[in-house]
Amino acid sequence: MDALIRLAAVVVVLAASAMAYLWWSRRQGRVQHVHVPGALTPDDLGAPRGLRATFVQFSTPICAKCPPTRALLLRVAQEYTHVSHIEIDASERLDLARRLDIMRTPTTLVLDANGVVVSRMNGAPSEAQVREALDELPPPGEYSI
Amino acid sequence: MSPSSDIQIDPRGYRFGALVTFVIVLAALVVGANAVGFVLMAVLTAMFVPGATVGPQATVQSWLFRTLVRPRIGAPSETESFRPPRFAQQMGLVMAAAGLLLGLAGAEAGFYVFAALVAIASFLNGVFNFCAGCELYLLFKRATTKAA
Repeated sequence: MDALIRLAAVVVVLAASAMAYLWWSRRQGRVQHVHVPGALTPDDLGAPRGLRATFVQFSTPICAKCPPTRALLLRVAQEYTHVSHIEIDASERLDLARRLDIMRTPTTLVLDANGVVVSRMNGAPSEAQVREALDELPPPGEYSI
Repeated sequence: MSPSSDIQIDPRGYRFGALVTFVIVLAALVVGANAVGFVLMAVLTAMFVPGATVGPQATVQSWLFRTLVRPRIGAPSETESFRPPRFAQQMGLVMAAAGLLLGLAGAEAGFYVFAALVAIASFLNGVFNFCAGCELYLLFKRATTKAA
């Protein structure tokens, strides 16, 4: 009898966990518009930025979805001109992670031509979400040389 | 993140292992905080040890997968790093050991709470491929490393 009550309690707890998980997983990769004062310089990032846009992907070594997200961002970035991808180990750059409120990985920031953060995707984004974030940014201006 | 020292594993094998973990911890929860439940938790704790120290490729669960399951389903189409699962096995080891020790010390609530945490994590991992350790690792680093 006690065993049945415990089994019922476990079923309830697992059902609640599954619902919480499904609610949470639907929010993965949503493009959120954010205002972050100041710009991220190549010095901050440890790499040059793209002339049109830059994906700054925060990863850690303990992150199953980080390598596939890296592959997706690199593939999309290569289709556009002047879009670059920088991957940063958040567990080694805790200063940046704290400054930019990176709580989980992968988190991808989208920078405009000036290095200002315009949007972020928390969790692994879909290809459509990556394109959505990028298409909001204008192509770089004309230049003659 | 040096790829040279990385080991790639079959992610399906790790999910299978999570389901094995789940079945054992579920049995422990249903049996309850008594001698049989403690033996089940002790077995589970012991099963986490090779995964937490060497990696998920060294566990009994992964041996079962290699000998019984994979011959039927063929080679994996993609592989993953062993590091996130190893971290997860370390968390599992700590939680299972905590549940066992609290149970042996007479704190029944502690036994149930930690067993339930293992059950939730292994259930979400096995069914949905959710990696709890991946979500917690950076928070853990942020909490335990002082600002420079």
